[in-house]
Order: sequence, then structure tokens, then C-alpha cells
Amino acid sequence: MDNEKTPLQKEAVWDLPTRLFHWLLALSVCVGWYLGNYRDFTTINWHFYLGYATICLLIFRLIWGIIGPPSARFSSFFPTPKSVLQYLKTIRDREPSGVAGHSPLGGLSVIALLTLLSIQVATGLFAEDDSLFATGPLSKYADANWVLFANDIHHKVSRLLLIFIGLHLAAVLFYHLWKRENLLGAMITGKKSVRKQQQ
Amino acid sequence: MKKILGKSLVAAMLAAAVTTPAIADPVDKAIKARQGYFQNLTFNLGQLAAMAKGEAEYDAKVAVGAAKNLDLLSQVNIVPAFPAGSDNVAKKGKTRALPKIWEDFAGFGAKAGAYREAVVALQAAAGAGKAEMAAAAGALGKTCGDCHNNYRAKTF
Repeated sequence: MDNEKTPLQKEAVWDLPTRLFHWLLALSVCVGWYLGNYRDFTTINWHFYLGYATICLLIFRLIWGIIGPPSARFSSFFPTPKSVLQYLKTIRDREPSGVAGHSPLGGLSVIALLTLLSIQVATGLFAEDDSLFATGPLSKYADANWVLFANDIHHKVSRLLLIFIGLHLAAVLFYHLWKRENLLGAMITGKKSVRKQQQ
Repeated sequence: MKKILGKSLVAAMLAAAVTTPAIADPVDKAIKARQGYFQNLTFNLGQLAAMAKGEAEYDAKVAVGAAKNLDLLSQVNIVPAFPAGSDNVAKKGKTRALPKIWEDFAGFGAKAGAYREAVVALQAAAGAGKAEMAAAAGALGKTCGDCHNNYRAKTF
């Protein structure tokens, strides 16, 4: 243990809107993915309703990332190659990161997931599968080739999202088992282990 | 009256002949033919899909009619519309048919067999009620997707 470090203490880091956003997004994306992947005539409309809900959540997060509290602001956690590399040096330490918000690596994950989800909802509006199960509400206004392109991207990004969500869960598990930090609990209660900056 | 109708029909055909360029290449003709065939499948299955999704009122008569059309269409021998050299590499931009169709024609045929079975299963279900029709049409739609995912390119 490094004696120069100040002790960790639990602090309220994640505000309620951010936590609600997180869990509603998890719900809408998981159920939405399921209904899109296992298409059925009787439930496919819900794939769209959940897509619209996801659009609203993403818009909220964009606004909250600008006007929200510090831990939710993009400017506070937007990763740079330097900050990520610096953080990676400490990744093997068997202790919580102590960051009062997203670590640079966590910030990278947030940006990646929000970007992929934005592409996913945007292409979903134009996608269609031979007008059978699903037809995006804007596909009738778009050129046929663009619809096919949007459809292709929508399918490919759904696979990418699975990988990134898997990485997200693996990271939470890694922090729990290796770094002895309960990130899941923090996203529920809002309280996270924080190390006060030294003077 | 008949004469006038006949004359205007001839005029319309002439106009169509002038405005629509003739397709000379037999492979291009085959591609057009099968695309028209698949559009017919989509048209008929689309009527069932609309009722299943609740966009249209369930009507047993319409459902049975669409199912019957799909049954008849699935008995058409479509193989001649898949000549060699009509894949999306040889005919780029005109078709999404992957070369894999011809490399694995037996596998392609097996998908068509699964489709035919789903069409047969639809016959009794179509008029039996909305839920029965929706389940059978959904199963049919999945056989479409199962072939498309393997033998059709996502884009032109």
C-alpha cells in the first residue's frame, strides 16, 4: 500500500437521474435487442416503442452530459489517449480506482456505448426487413439503397453492441473480483469509493 | 367502344415499348423474373403480416387467399431463374444473390424446402383465427430470413 495515498471513502457520486437513465437504458436495450433479434409479428411493434424510448434516453443523456452534475458531464470524463494510458498503468492494482466519477477507461466505454447506441437508433428509423416484420418509420422517405445500407449497419451494430455490453459486464466483474470495488452497488445507491485529491 | 379500347391499349403498349428499354441479356432477364417472383411472395405474405401485426383487421377470407397464392407460388419451379453467372459478383448492382447459392445449391434447395413446408403448414392455419395465422406466418417469415441471412447480400 502506498502511504502517500489518502484513504478511500464512500461518497455520493452518481446522481439519481444518471442512475435512472442507466437502468432504464439497460432495460430498453436488452428487451429491444431481444424483440429485434427474435422477431415475431405480435411483439415487433414493441421493438420500435423501445427504440423510441432509447432515443429519448440518449437525448436526455446528451443534455445531462452538458448541464448535469460533474460526474455526469462529458467534459469531466472525456478520455484522451494520455489519460487512458496513464490509468492503464494502475489497472492491476488490487484497489478501487478512487475516481469520483468515470475512470478514463470507463469514460471510453461510456462514449463507445453511447455512440454505438446513437448509430443503432438512427439506422433503426430507416431499416426494414422486406417490409415484413419491421419497417422503420422513416424508411418510406429514404432511397431503397440507403434503406438496405441502414439495415445492414443496424444488424452489424447490434452484434457490436453485444460485444461492448459483454465487455462492460466483464469490467464490472473484474473490478468486483480483482479491484475489490462494487461498481454495481455504486450504480444502485450512487455511493462510490472515492480518494480525496491530495493538496 | 371495344375498338377505342383496343386502340388505346395498342397505343399504351407502344408507349411502354418506347419508354421501357428491352432487356436483351438472358441472365438479366432471369434476374428480373426471380425478383418479380419474390415480390409476389412478399406481397402475399405482407397481407398476412399486416393482419398479424394489427395494422389490418383479420379477415379469414383474405388470409386464406394469400395463403393459397403462396401455396401456388411455392410450386413454381424457380430454378431456371437462377442461371449460372447471375450472382452479385457477375451482375454487380443488379442482384443480391450471393455466389454461395451456386457453390452450395443443395443447401440453398434445403432452405427452399423448409420454406415450402412452412407454406404447407400455413394453409390450415390461415383461416383458423388470427393467433394461429400469425404464428404460422411468423414461422414462414423466419424461413425467408433464414435463407436471406445465408444466401443474400445485405446490400447491392
